[in-house]
Amino acid sequence: MFRTAIKSLFAHKVRFVLTAIAIVLGVSLVAGTFIFTDTINSQFDDLLDDIYAGIDVSVRAQSGDFSAGTEPFPSSVLADVEAVDGVEVAEGGVGSITAQVLDKSGDAIGGQGPPTLGFSWGEAASLNPMRIKDDAGRAPEGRGEVVLDANTVTNAGFELRDSVTVVAFNGPEEFELVGIASFGNQDSLLGATIVMFELEEARRVFGFGDELTGINVQAETGVGAQDLTDRISQVLPSGVEAVTGETEQGEQAADINEGLSFLSIGLLSFAGVSIFVGAFIIQNTFRIVVAQRTRELALLRAIGATGRQIRTMVITEALFIGFVGSIAGIIFGFVMALLIRGLMNLLGFGVPPGALVLLPRTIIVAMLVGLTLTLLSSLLPARKASRIPPVAAMREDAARTPRRSLHTRAVAGTVITGVGVLLLAVGLFASVGRAIIFVAAGAAIAFIGVSVLAPLAARPLADVIGWPLPRLFGISGLLARENTKRKPRRTASTASALMVGVALVAFFSVFGSSTKASVSETVFELFPADLTFQSTNQTDPEMPAAISPAFALELETYGELGVVSAMQFGRIVIDGKTHFLGAFDPSTIDQVLALQPNGDAISAVSEPGSLIVASGFLEDNGWQVGDVVSVEFARTGVVLMPVVGTFETDDFSNIYLSTETFKSNYRYVGDGVVLANTADGVEVVEAKEAIAPTVGSFGNVKAQTKSEIVDEAETQIDQALALFTGLLLFAVLIAVLGITNTLTLSIFERTREIGLLRAVGMVRRQVRRMIRWEAVIIATFGAILGVGIGIVLGWAVVQALADEGFGAFSIPIGQVILALVLAALAGVLAAIWPARKAARMNILDAISSE
Amino acid sequence: MTTAATTTYAARLEDGVKTYGDGDSAVHALNGATAEFERGRFTAIMGPSGSGKSTLLHCIAGLDSLTSGSAYIGDVDLSTLKDRDLTLLRRERIGFVFQAYNLIPSLTAEENILLPLSIGGKKPDEDWYSQILDTVGLRDRLEHLPSELSGGQQQRVAAARALVSQPEIIFADEPSGNLDSKAGAELLAFMRRAVKEFGQTIVMVTHDPNTAAYADRIVFIEDGKTVDEMIDPTADSVLDRLKSLGG
Repeated sequence: MFRTAIKSLFAHKVRFVLTAIAIVLGVSLVAGTFIFTDTINSQFDDLLDDIYAGIDVSVRAQSGDFSAGTEPFPSSVLADVEAVDGVEVAEGGVGSITAQVLDKSGDAIGGQGPPTLGFSWGEAASLNPMRIKDDAGRAPEGRGEVVLDANTVTNAGFELRDSVTVVAFNGPEEFELVGIASFGNQDSLLGATIVMFELEEARRVFGFGDELTGINVQAETGVGAQDLTDRISQVLPSGVEAVTGETEQGEQAADINEGLSFLSIGLLSFAGVSIFVGAFIIQNTFRIVVAQRTRELALLRAIGATGRQIRTMVITEALFIGFVGSIAGIIFGFVMALLIRGLMNLLGFGVPPGALVLLPRTIIVAMLVGLTLTLLSSLLPARKASRIPPVAAMREDAARTPRRSLHTRAVAGTVITGVGVLLLAVGLFASVGRAIIFVAAGAAIAFIGVSVLAPLAARPLADVIGWPLPRLFGISGLLARENTKRKPRRTASTASALMVGVALVAFFSVFGSSTKASVSETVFELFPADLTFQSTNQTDPEMPAAISPAFALELETYGELGVVSAMQFGRIVIDGKTHFLGAFDPSTIDQVLALQPNGDAISAVSEPGSLIVASGFLEDNGWQVGDVVSVEFARTGVVLMPVVGTFETDDFSNIYLSTETFKSNYRYVGDGVVLANTADGVEVVEAKEAIAPTVGSFGNVKAQTKSEIVDEAETQIDQALALFTGLLLFAVLIAVLGITNTLTLSIFERTREIGLLRAVGMVRRQVRRMIRWEAVIIATFGAILGVGIGIVLGWAVVQALADEGFGAFSIPIGQVILALVLAALAGVLAAIWPARKAARMNILDAISSE
Repeated sequence: MTTAATTTYAARLEDGVKTYGDGDSAVHALNGATAEFERGRFTAIMGPSGSGKSTLLHCIAGLDSLTSGSAYIGDVDLSTLKDRDLTLLRRERIGFVFQAYNLIPSLTAEENILLPLSIGGKKPDEDWYSQILDTVGLRDRLEHLPSELSGGQQQRVAAARALVSQPEIIFADEPSGNLDSKAGAELLAFMRRAVKEFGQTIVMVTHDPNTAAYADRIVFIEDGKTVDEMIDPTADSVLDRLKSLGG
């Protein structure tokens, strides 16, 4: 039986290849994602190994629940650590993520993808992973000197002893490039921009006093890292902690892993969609193939094969295709990994080149995915094959199993769709944990339900879609339309695969379009300010990067501007949960930000040490105005603060302090946002132009009007949409291959018919046109179902998010029409090969009677 | 070639050779066959299995190409035509009736009859169409799909389709081969009437003496060559002739 199965596969190469491609594409996305993330992971692991090679103990401010802290502690700690028995070398330094290097034309380098990191230069070579490259200058020694990483120097076209502008705590300053450093022997630290100063200079540039942000310790030979850590801990003041280098390396690796797992979950979700679509295609192909082989299978039955053997044979064939497809998918996964890497680089993440990593886990998962996919897809067709009666070998009509009644199909489809919708609703509207799983499972089940119902709609919809065809293209058009109606189940199944991809594209379009509408409303309601200034640096993706305090001061010197109001942002811990808070100047904030305060909340918060909260947040915590609450800051620890008022607008932050209170609890390194109004009678454009020199000199500050903020948000949404659509293209591509597959198998079935048409005078062009329009109808059918589902899904999600500022539901009509047109074009592409094949069919094969 | 000759014959084959494969395994389906088919007559081509009669029909009808020699429809040499022109020629000047699978299953009887015209984007001549429908006797079944018609009805639809574009010549390949004797007789009688009443030219391949007896003339073929012919045959005379040919 196994040999029979394999022989039959090789006898039908095209069918075999087309089915395998669907598997290859799905599996390669899975494999590619793993290969890509494993590669980055191993690169980071190597990197961290290098960084922590000489570090046995790391001393740092206690970070507690605050992520990413560069909180300083007094320099005096260093002397205490050095005095501990067993310390070979200890070196203190400062680090900051606020430094920004400008290129020769004054634009910011880095910060959008890979981070910009500022450090003091470590004198102890064993503790400093950076090296000055040969013949590339020297370490920084004093004021006005800077060292950059070699990758940044090359990219920006700097040369040794060039003047380089760095914007940090004191605003833009010029430094002399005295050295070019490599990381071990690598020029690039994964694309990060690294800027280094001598310790004293670093403190000045980053805005530190007589402080350190970290001490690295190397133990004497024979002293264990853990022992030394314990001993050092004894001498540290409260708020400062010692951990082993290994521990810190582990923490960093875990952080990187978390970031990467976010990416891989995203990519794997799209791979999942592709595989889901692939399952439709593969099942459909097997079903058609079984139908076409009825006589052959019946003959096997007639000469003594059992139904069970037939089933085993069909499943064996499927598994063989799955096996070959999975292997090819793993190989193609390398290409996919390179594509993902290229895409990431295109998006501004400097992913370094390097050998791709294939872990055994990747192979196992990919094989499992590919084999399970084909196995599940072949079960129903195999069962059908096993039920073919032997008499079908002699009588063609004997094989036709009675059609399940439309009624049964309608009921089954409705029930399945209903279950899917129910799960969706639970995920969206009930507050359950892991809502996304309910949503995803609900959507998948709803898709299956609709695909069960789709054959019912195939005939009427084909009539509607194909209505103009006979008028436009005569008999070719008529036949195209009628052919799609002949096997409604086949047409619907093929269209359903496309439906899934199109539905998700449509969903994202609707969601994006609604988000845009909501963003526009929010911005115009929330920001009365004429101009908003923010950093372009996104090293910390969760918080706006600080703009040098010098910037707001400089803005105030312009007569074109009226009020200039700076805001600061920070993290805070309440009851063990981290929150974001904002700080403002109570005397000017009401002119630039619409907080909708209740009563005199804004003037009340000018009382030092007090805070105001959003009224919803107050309720959630069970607080009342006047309560004194316990909050924890990274710098000052637990502080008791009175709640002195409430406000209604919670789009930005739930908690606000005055800037004065902020400065006494945080290390003030700059402003998160600066808001400004123009002076009376000055146009916004005019003012923006006047302050351009100041904005330009800081390099990393962008000035935006209200509509520019909206534009930017819309651009970002569009980019995200483009990215999602791009990732969904794989699913669409698989669906298009499915159309090709179905048509190829169908024209094979219709050999005689096409031959007859050719004999009585149909030219090849008409044959091609007939197949092409058949494909267009199938594709449009799928796209219409998909767009419908996508819009409904988008509407549901927007309703579910109504509490989170989604006021507007908007259907992007243009994009929807575009999707339909593109789907029709995809149909044209899908038909190229089968249409050619049909047009070239040998007429005699078709008409000669057996 | 004289002008008179080209106008007398609806189709001709001159020294037709058709070889499949090459070298030792070459099969000569036609081996220098020559035949003429006069206008307004019903000609049958007879021969034993493998004699090349179907190949002869395919080559002269523009469905297959000769290895050497010439096939003419009217005075058009088919070997000079590219696929497109050959297809147009079949569409406009030739009608076909095959043994089976004559109809497109997704089209109604009427759409099938009108197929050669619709492919060319043409409308039927109303009088002619009406006359055909009366002769075939299928007026009440026009909206039916082929699967709803009997075998005999299907073949009559095919015959009507062959007639509808008023072709110069109709080729039929065992048209009654799959029919019971009553339905077969009806179909052949209908074809006979088309020749007698409308002056249609029909060339039919068959191996059955009773079927061949409906023709005005029979061309016998053996081993890829035309070997004999017979005018105004009867079933008995055909049988006698076949015996003498050793078929």
